[in-house]
Amino acid sequence: MLLISCPNCGPRDETEFHYGGQAHVAYPENPDALTDRQWAEYLFYRDNTKGAFAERWVHSTGCRQWFNMLRDTVSYDIQAIYKMGEPRPDANTTAATTSEGATK
Amino acid sequence: MSADHLPEHPDFLWRNPEPKSSYDAVIVGGGGHGLATAYFLAKNHGMTNIAVLEKGWLAGGNMARNTTIIRSNYLWDESAAIYEHALKLWEILPEELEYDFLFSQRGVMNLAHTLGDVRESVRRVGANKLNGVDAEWLDPQQVKELCPILNISDNIRYPVMGATYQPRAGIAKHDHVAWAFARKCDELGVDIIQNCEVTGFLKDGNRVVGVQTNQGTIHTEKVGLAAAGHSSVLAEMAGFRLPIQSHPLQALVSELHEPVHPTVVMSNHVHVYVSQAHKGELVMGAGVDSYNGYGQRGSFHVIEHQMAAGVELFPIFARAHVLRTWGGIVDTTMDASPIIGTTPVENMFVNCGWGTGGFKGTPAAGLTFAHTIATGTPHELNKPFSLERFETGALIDEHGAAAVAH
Amino acid sequence: MAETATPANPETLRAARRSPASHLAPTFESGSVAGTVALKEIPFQTMVGVRVDRASDAGARLASVTGGLPAACGEVSGDERATTLWLGPDEFLVVAPESAHDSLGGDLVRALVEALGDDPGQVVDLSANRTTFELSGIRARDVLEKGCSLDLHPRAFRTGTALATEIGNIPAMLLKTGEDSFRIFPRASFADFLGRWLLDGMREFASPEVP
Repeated sequence: MLLISCPNCGPRDETEFHYGGQAHVAYPENPDALTDRQWAEYLFYRDNTKGAFAERWVHSTGCRQWFNMLRDTVSYDIQAIYKMGEPRPDANTTAATTSEGATK
Repeated sequence: MSADHLPEHPDFLWRNPEPKSSYDAVIVGGGGHGLATAYFLAKNHGMTNIAVLEKGWLAGGNMARNTTIIRSNYLWDESAAIYEHALKLWEILPEELEYDFLFSQRGVMNLAHTLGDVRESVRRVGANKLNGVDAEWLDPQQVKELCPILNISDNIRYPVMGATYQPRAGIAKHDHVAWAFARKCDELGVDIIQNCEVTGFLKDGNRVVGVQTNQGTIHTEKVGLAAAGHSSVLAEMAGFRLPIQSHPLQALVSELHEPVHPTVVMSNHVHVYVSQAHKGELVMGAGVDSYNGYGQRGSFHVIEHQMAAGVELFPIFARAHVLRTWGGIVDTTMDASPIIGTTPVENMFVNCGWGTGGFKGTPAAGLTFAHTIATGTPHELNKPFSLERFETGALIDEHGAAAVAH
Repeated sequence: MAETATPANPETLRAARRSPASHLAPTFESGSVAGTVALKEIPFQTMVGVRVDRASDAGARLASVTGGLPAACGEVSGDERATTLWLGPDEFLVVAPESAHDSLGGDLVRALVEALGDDPGQVVDLSANRTTFELSGIRARDVLEKGCSLDLHPRAFRTGTALATEIGNIPAMLLKTGEDSFRIFPRASFADFLGRWLLDGMREFASPEVP
């Protein structure tokens, strides 16, 4: 069970939330202008990242608000929670520093 | 029942060779699908200078983690054709592979709990019959006769309103299936290389010419990807995308019990699927965890929900114990149908997207994927399951028959 | 708002209604343990859903009707007329006694509709959406904790706060009205389920404690 910190309500059980898939996928500005391939990309293709993944969640049982979350899809560690519309923060800065530190 | 009744293993299964520097074809993924593909490449297409690369141990991924259900009662013509072909292969494979992997055609029931379920199920029975798939619609009393431990009373939240039933469906011992394929592959000269993780692909322009692994570079003319939950990772290495999402899918077993459950019962609506393995464990599957995950584990509430469903349908299970739970990584597509075919990279082929139902498809995946790799063009059976269908819109929506919601 | 039905005599209306857990009333009574834990339904409270930007003029006008709009998760505002629970950053639930409802001679809904005016927002009569359970007694928290994973310890969950959460796997609002008393607002269709869940949780306290 994930313990997710809702930006409005604080830490709550995963069961209070619903998953919304990959974050930062914008509706095409001009869908009519897309090729079938591009439309298929928008409709059916989503990143399936192994590692830090930006995704959307909604606190359905609580404040009913959507938010973004950066989560590691292997360890399931939640690395960041940020507002809808905000850019994706840097992934796992702690781990990056550690590995850099090791090589120096 | 005891382990004494299980057939004995053959004395020898397979070699553990060092990888050669080049092969005619390399299959990435040493699970059921990869092994079946190698087997049919060798047997049907005479390609024996091939290797199966497995990053862990043989058949240790979803092949070891599924609930071993085999059936072919899918809705659409394209699906019925490929899954029914798989079922016919299951019926002859123990003899062909000279290995009794305990394929038990004890029938599979898919329960209906709502009027919507009933309509969908009856429609599917009709469609199955038109496609030559054995299927029946059972009323609750007939359900009870086939599986006396099922609770068909109307004092539960979602009473059993009937079921589809496929008598030829059943279960098989999954590890033995993998070993049966592996042993025959080895006999035919296929190199099965374990602990060999693919880390990249060698390309000449847009044509794949080799794979990089933690055991060195292997040159090859053709690459077949059969890596289920990790397909997207491999595709990314090769430079293309796949329309799949990897989710954790959990299952569990109880301790051993006397035989109480004569068939296989699946329920989409209250969501659990149950059979009793040959040794006596109750084997139960859950739904997928909602989030993307590569962790081979999911959240506990999913198990809790599944147990609640299990006990409601089978009150006798209330005093059984959960012995082990585990998770696999399933590669789901938007239409709950697999992808078997060519890729944007020349000489690279993909078999993925089987999602929550890959085990039953193993022989047909192997047969059609081998044909696709050997000839460069799809077999009649996998033609509709191309990557292109997401562009043309010719989707094969099997969410109703797929049994595990995602 | 168009009138869709002939206004009925309030007493006729009252007599015709059944609250979502009315069939459980005798069971609630017999399942309550005097001095330990008690469960009852408080039927037919007036409830109005309000959506508005708190910082707007409309927000200020609505706040003057309700006696304030809570600013953050957990907060509750109100006066003797109504209690207002925070549901989300721009969503609130106004709870008032039955008599506040316009059909029974009150004017709460009309007052809120008028306060919003034509500004962006929403005022919806949700009186039939949820019912109210009152769970009280020294064991009330123990009962709740069987089906609610929030930290209900008094240092974390204070009297006069309310949270939207899950109780017994169903969504519900939980309002702490006193040191040992809670009000739970489940949706009407879940009232039977949650009522029985709570009763089941209360059962052990009817027996002498095992030392």
